[in-house]
Amino acid sequence: MESSSSSTVTQREQLMVEQRVFQIYRLFAEMPRSSQSFMLEVQRDSHIEYLTNGLRGLSPSFCVLDANRPWLCYWILHSLALLEGSIDDELENNAIDFLCRCQDPSGGYAGGPGQMPHLATTYAAVNSLISLGGHRALSSIHRDSIYAFLRQMKQPNGGFRMHDGGEVDVRACYTAISVASILNILDDRLVEYVGDYILSCQTHEGGIAGEPGSEAHGGYTYCGFATMILINEVDCLNVAALMDWVVFRQGVECGFQGRINKLVDGCYSFWQGGVCALLQRSYPIINGLDSSESEEDSDAGSLSSATSDVCEGEHAVEGTLPQADAETCQHTWEGFVNTLAPVNLNDIGDKFLERNAKMGPPFNSVALQQYILLCSQLQEGGFRDKPGKARDFYHTCYCLSGLSACQYSWSEDLDFPPAPQAVLGPYSNLLEPIHPLYNVVLRRYHEAREFFASA
Amino acid sequence: MHGRPRMAPNPEDAAASAAKSQKLRSLQSQFLSFHHSRTYTKEALEISAKLLEINPENYTAWNYRKLAVEHCVKESESDPSSVKSIFDKELKVVESALRQNFKSYGAWHHRKWVLSKGHSSIDEELRLLDKLQKQDSRNFHAWNYRRFVAALMNRSIEDELKYTENLIENNFSNYSAWHNRSILLSELVKKKDQGSSTQDVLSEEYNFVRDALFTDPDDQSAWFYHLWLLQQTIQSKAPLLVSSWPANGADLRVSGNGCLGGASGLFSRLSSDLRRFPLVLFFNQNVEGISSLTVTVEASFITSKDLTWKSLSPKTSRFGRVWVAYLDISSVDLDYLNPQKVVVRLGHCPGIMSSSGLPLSKPFRLEYTIAAKPIETKSSGRHENEIFQWKEDDFHNSEGQLEESIPRLLYTRAVEDNDEAAASRWHIDTMTEEINHVRVLLASSDCKIGKLMLARLLMARDDMLSPYANKMAHSEEVLELYRDLIRLDPPHSHYYKDQSSLVLMQQLVSSRDSLLKHCFCYEGIKSSSIDGPVCLRLNNLSLSRVGSFEKLLWVHILDLSDNELHSIQGIEALQLLSCLNLRSNKLTSFSALEPLRSLKCLRALNISYNEIGSHPIDTCRYLVTSPLSHSAEISWNRDEDLPDGVDVENYWEAFLVFKDLDLVQLDIAGNPVADERFQSFLVKITPELTWLDGQKLH
Repeated sequence: MESSSSSTVTQREQLMVEQRVFQIYRLFAEMPRSSQSFMLEVQRDSHIEYLTNGLRGLSPSFCVLDANRPWLCYWILHSLALLEGSIDDELENNAIDFLCRCQDPSGGYAGGPGQMPHLATTYAAVNSLISLGGHRALSSIHRDSIYAFLRQMKQPNGGFRMHDGGEVDVRACYTAISVASILNILDDRLVEYVGDYILSCQTHEGGIAGEPGSEAHGGYTYCGFATMILINEVDCLNVAALMDWVVFRQGVECGFQGRINKLVDGCYSFWQGGVCALLQRSYPIINGLDSSESEEDSDAGSLSSATSDVCEGEHAVEGTLPQADAETCQHTWEGFVNTLAPVNLNDIGDKFLERNAKMGPPFNSVALQQYILLCSQLQEGGFRDKPGKARDFYHTCYCLSGLSACQYSWSEDLDFPPAPQAVLGPYSNLLEPIHPLYNVVLRRYHEAREFFASA
Repeated sequence: MHGRPRMAPNPEDAAASAAKSQKLRSLQSQFLSFHHSRTYTKEALEISAKLLEINPENYTAWNYRKLAVEHCVKESESDPSSVKSIFDKELKVVESALRQNFKSYGAWHHRKWVLSKGHSSIDEELRLLDKLQKQDSRNFHAWNYRRFVAALMNRSIEDELKYTENLIENNFSNYSAWHNRSILLSELVKKKDQGSSTQDVLSEEYNFVRDALFTDPDDQSAWFYHLWLLQQTIQSKAPLLVSSWPANGADLRVSGNGCLGGASGLFSRLSSDLRRFPLVLFFNQNVEGISSLTVTVEASFITSKDLTWKSLSPKTSRFGRVWVAYLDISSVDLDYLNPQKVVVRLGHCPGIMSSSGLPLSKPFRLEYTIAAKPIETKSSGRHENEIFQWKEDDFHNSEGQLEESIPRLLYTRAVEDNDEAAASRWHIDTMTEEINHVRVLLASSDCKIGKLMLARLLMARDDMLSPYANKMAHSEEVLELYRDLIRLDPPHSHYYKDQSSLVLMQQLVSSRDSLLKHCFCYEGIKSSSIDGPVCLRLNNLSLSRVGSFEKLLWVHILDLSDNELHSIQGIEALQLLSCLNLRSNKLTSFSALEPLRSLKCLRALNISYNEIGSHPIDTCRYLVTSPLSHSAEISWNRDEDLPDGVDVENYWEAFLVFKDLDLVQLDIAGNPVADERFQSFLVKITPELTWLDGQKLH
């Protein structure tokens, strides 16, 4: 062991970041009020300009993303949707055309024209087109061939492969399930055993790792947790441990870290903040709210309940057993004896929104907004990992997504604007609300949902 | 998604960047044409290698190379050395790609693919990993790859442990190294089987982690590992029945109108209902499989099959700590000279399991009798004017009388195994040793994590020594630690406050004498029969959480007023509770009252002067053990008949709580929600309600 006087590299780096962040907060505290309110403003115009320029011509140094261009589209288009920035017709058409050229004839989207289809870029492309909205964008998505591609990527262990010959991990599971769910093509064959795979990735820390044996990680925890909700198996996870893990990832800098004893990073505002948003609404989502009646609640207190209790209880248990027939057995809530109506997997995303938040944010929402606005935001547009780093579209997308999640974190119902005290800075900072399971703007989600329900 | 290369930071580099980009574009288009024409010539392979060196993210190129390798291997099938050189070339390509971006999924995956073909030497891999892990010791791709390589080359667990040891010695904050240690050690323990060698491994590990803790008590990595190690030590505890109602050996006296025990005649209107009375089983942890098959009940008037067992935890879970079944004695001809014997057995048939899959530690047997009271009470029908008032004057502390009322056998044990230790000598010694070390640590530093750890260790050891929580040897010290922590670490003070409340509760109920100090006779109801009923008063103790319900299953009347409660989780175990005072607490929503829904005997409830309605949504939910425990919404049938004009929409949460209760008396004044509109809503949904805020309704 090193002697106690010399600290480790990790500790020195942490200390440097803390000093930098605290210095920003100190300067902020000493500013006159008018400058303070300016500092806390979302620089909407600068961000929109930065993003639109990015979309217009990819800066040469982004060449590395030549295998990930749909991602770039998603990060920019989703950010613009959050900011309610408009895109001119030409840019919109270019984006749709480009994504069409990434679509593989045999299904799925590739990182660029002529490349192989890939699950992550399929997720990015589908979410990009949904973020654009409109008939032209949505009808360009070939759902049948995407379904075929997803089936090809499905592994016997329940997980998904990123691409033909590619790696199997939690990210692949999420992107596959999210795409299938939002396109209304999720079925039992895709869902089969995927929950078991995710479960094998939850660690003793409480969070979820990328693959079995690895450490719990913010991005994978979001992916794994959202997947479990989308396939209606969230109660198989140790949710209490997951909650413990995630809430302690918010540190003194006010932002989130991705793993234990790592540095704060703005992008985890969404990955970890998104997990918190999901936690606020996570409790059994079952179909048939109207038809389910629990034996416990039937005319309690009346004299007859003594006997009817018993009968109904047993009846309910028997009721679910004969359903184990492969054709009719939809995914039932495990251990939920009175779920008589089968769950429609494709309705879960919608049902999730009907579940009002049942608790306040399990993290300090105002503090996180402070980190995003003061430490990640650049006045000239764009967001970054932490002070000292450069801006990029990835961090812009996930800082803004996290900011939106924070602003609505006190809202019971996402359809209503939040109270002013929930939004740090001027109320004009308010961004569009997101659907926390897919990370697309809520309005666009509804449009897509309607489109794919009738298509 | 995270960790992809960022854009070049300086605009000056733009020109260079543009040139590079031009080159990349040309490589990319050449590569794609080779890929589509399935051209695997030397030149074509060279192009893809160059492309990958600049852009390791290009997964299509990695796949192309896999196809090319297969093609080339087929061509040279007869010659093992050229096969080897084909694969070696791949390893080189991956290595230069990783130099460019060693978070590249595609590059790491390609390397695994090459290695799994079995034509390359694995020895090089560890050297490469050493190099990369020195650059970034937290890179999870590298750690995943390391586990893959170690498995492939059958490297011993001990060797890998040694490697993490070196990394930790170099940087004890490296949590990834600690994490890998926990994976390795679990494997080692599994291999060593149970028994002393496992214990040796764990003991040695305690020594190792202690070094790091003492080096810098404020670094979190080692503490997380220490916590994991403690879990390995404490875990694997088999489920235990810690208490029951009725307690073993109890002689229940039922008055003529069916009332039980001390609360008889309190509300004569509830009498007939108690023809059914509860059988409550309280375990030390969540268990599943409580049913008429695993619990046998013998009595002349009932068979096991007649009982339906229900967990008092959220119904979405198969598991629960507290289970209840109701015995119907309405057809039994109770006689005071001829008590009915009831024998309950569990654990004789397999099926009762903990959530970690362990069966009940041993079989349990409970026996008690039910008889009629010798003197018939005159129950003169309905007492419309009865009201339960929580007036100081009505409570009397007369010990002689109380002796009778509190189940005497509570502290001699529900089950006759007082001397049984829950843990082995080794477990207890290990805990003791850790406690001593943390004390030494704290003597020289005011470390927060250390204090919290000491508090947890002390509680855990007390629990090991006395699983029925009869001996709380260290509660004073633990309370002191939490007081310190509240002072040292204000942001988490709520958590510490909750923890110390639970300790305080445990302390209060740990002995009959300390409990008796809080028991009073209530003499406010004149219609009541002989003695006043017993009330447990835990008011004005600054409690923010309540617990230790396993000792309180007999309670009918509970006063928790003037505390700081924001949650009453766990109170659902008190199936006999008929009067509950929660006045002046910090409950912020009706959903916090959800545990009350299981209390079928509850008639008088005081929730006045709380904060219900002050926040748009419940702010304390995340403090409860499981956020999934709240599934109330789904249990309501919309077809259920509602009285006209009931404002369900606005008082949804209140509706879900009160519709299941049969309250006669409710006090709700002093909450933001309690306006006239709400009162009229309450009157509509609780038809039995007679008293609202002290006013008679009808």
